[in-house]
Amino acid sequence: MAGIRTVLLDRARGLPPEHQALIHPGWRRHLVPFGVVFALVALFVFALDRFGFTFARIFGGIEQLGWIIYFMVPPNAEGQFLFFARALGETVAIALLGTLIGAILAFPLSLLAARNVMTNRIVQFMSRRTFDAVRGIDTLIWALIYVNVVGLGPFAGVLAIASSDMAGFAKIFSEAMEATEGKASEGVRSTGGRRSAEIAFGLLPQVMPVLISQVLYFFESNTRSATIIGIVGAGGIGLYLSDTIRTGEWQQVSMLILMILVVVSVIDVISTRLRFAIIGKRG
Amino acid sequence: MTLEINSLTKIFGTAKALDAVTFSVPTGSLVGVIGRSGAGKSTLLRAINRLSDATSGQILFNGADVSAYKAADLLRWRARAAMVFQQFNLAGRLDVMTNVLLGRLSHVSTLRAALNLYSETDRAIATAALDLVDMADYAAQRAESLSGGQQQRVAIARALAQEPELILADEPVASLDPRNTRIVMDTLQRLNREFGITILVNLHSIDLARHYCDRLIGLQGGRMFFDGTAAQLTDGVVRDLYGMESGEAGVENNPLSAVQPVANMEMTK
Repeated sequence: MAGIRTVLLDRARGLPPEHQALIHPGWRRHLVPFGVVFALVALFVFALDRFGFTFARIFGGIEQLGWIIYFMVPPNAEGQFLFFARALGETVAIALLGTLIGAILAFPLSLLAARNVMTNRIVQFMSRRTFDAVRGIDTLIWALIYVNVVGLGPFAGVLAIASSDMAGFAKIFSEAMEATEGKASEGVRSTGGRRSAEIAFGLLPQVMPVLISQVLYFFESNTRSATIIGIVGAGGIGLYLSDTIRTGEWQQVSMLILMILVVVSVIDVISTRLRFAIIGKRG
Repeated sequence: MTLEINSLTKIFGTAKALDAVTFSVPTGSLVGVIGRSGAGKSTLLRAINRLSDATSGQILFNGADVSAYKAADLLRWRARAAMVFQQFNLAGRLDVMTNVLLGRLSHVSTLRAALNLYSETDRAIATAALDLVDMADYAAQRAESLSGGQQQRVAIARALAQEPELILADEPVASLDPRNTRIVMDTLQRLNREFGITILVNLHSIDLARHYCDRLIGLQGGRMFFDGTAAQLTDGVVRDLYGMESGEAGVENNPLSAVQPVANMEMTK
């Protein structure tokens, strides 16, 4: 019996011209990919040049960075530990409240924006665009605005996180809803269930794990954001961080960074456990 | 020149998916593997390809210990023992030609493959394989845009492009309608006869297994339960193999059973 290779190569020689073309595709097909890669590299080099990117500055910076790290060791709160801890607690509280309020507000709104729930195209489209607009404004900018609206302090921080997250959640929730299979909903419809029952029993059970894990993920990432918005006066540990950096108290800075790292990793561990507990191992 | 399976055992947690399975297959056979869902058919084929390794036991191919292969030898073995899957397992977003060229991966560096720089020989083999399953006209289409039967033919072309010595087909027709079932089974039979490729095929349908296979191996609860020709597979053996009550024995005479006897059995329960 002839080998597979011999038989196939023989067969290839006898193919009609349109199939022969598959064997000899020519070099032209590489033109577009090559062009795109070339253009990206050119853009990259151009941007580096425009920003005055030189190796001299990088190496100069590394030396400076080395000094800062040297001054940071060992971390030392210098008597301020309790103030730091209280502010860090405030930061976590801001993140938790902001995330929860954002998620709670986002849930009904996401129903408006999901194509398979909201059948009115205009409402669906407009709510999606509104979320995009709100989301386009970063949490930090919301914080700057709310500090002027409700004054300095954690309340402004909570509102800032809730605002930007509400839009983010609404978009993610509605996309998760659209990605569901219609089969379960169709099953509920076939039993004579109302539209509300279709959503409650056909659609929501499918998306719940996604929604919950997204909320937990946002809480983690908001704990990090909440340290930043403190810098503009919206409460939490950010204020201490910016003050100590400004005054060059590097040992306190490293203490603050260390505390943030510990809290963020603890939250990370807890939320991973929670996520698995709620949605099962293979979410 | 054979495939020898020696006391192959696979344990998932506490369950034995394969329990000391032992048999040997001479080169050029077309062997059907039958049994209930969960009997270990898929586990067996996946273990032979080394997609997921058995817990203990040995796989010998032409005397070489396949179960000990590592690294490059292992990759090479997978190419030699081509798989065909129930759900086709094509890269849906890639075009048909690229999917079939994946069958040449063991001859090409990943970088060359990623840059689509296959040699003319590789392209000729892939194109001829596509032509052989009558799918060359679809070469530029995305795999996911094809029907199930067409996707399975592309998957067979990919397997053929591997220049396999063995084809392991895991329920290749379970998702297909009767017409495509015939096309796919005929194609496998043809590869077996024209190229002398040894084929192991898992089948739900006893009728298909009887019609196409020289030899049938029946698994039950991970153990060898039957090994013989289609003629030796009596209704009584089938009844025992599938654990049916005696009242359900008429299955094979029921016209509904011609395509999917297992589904039919569940209907009569």
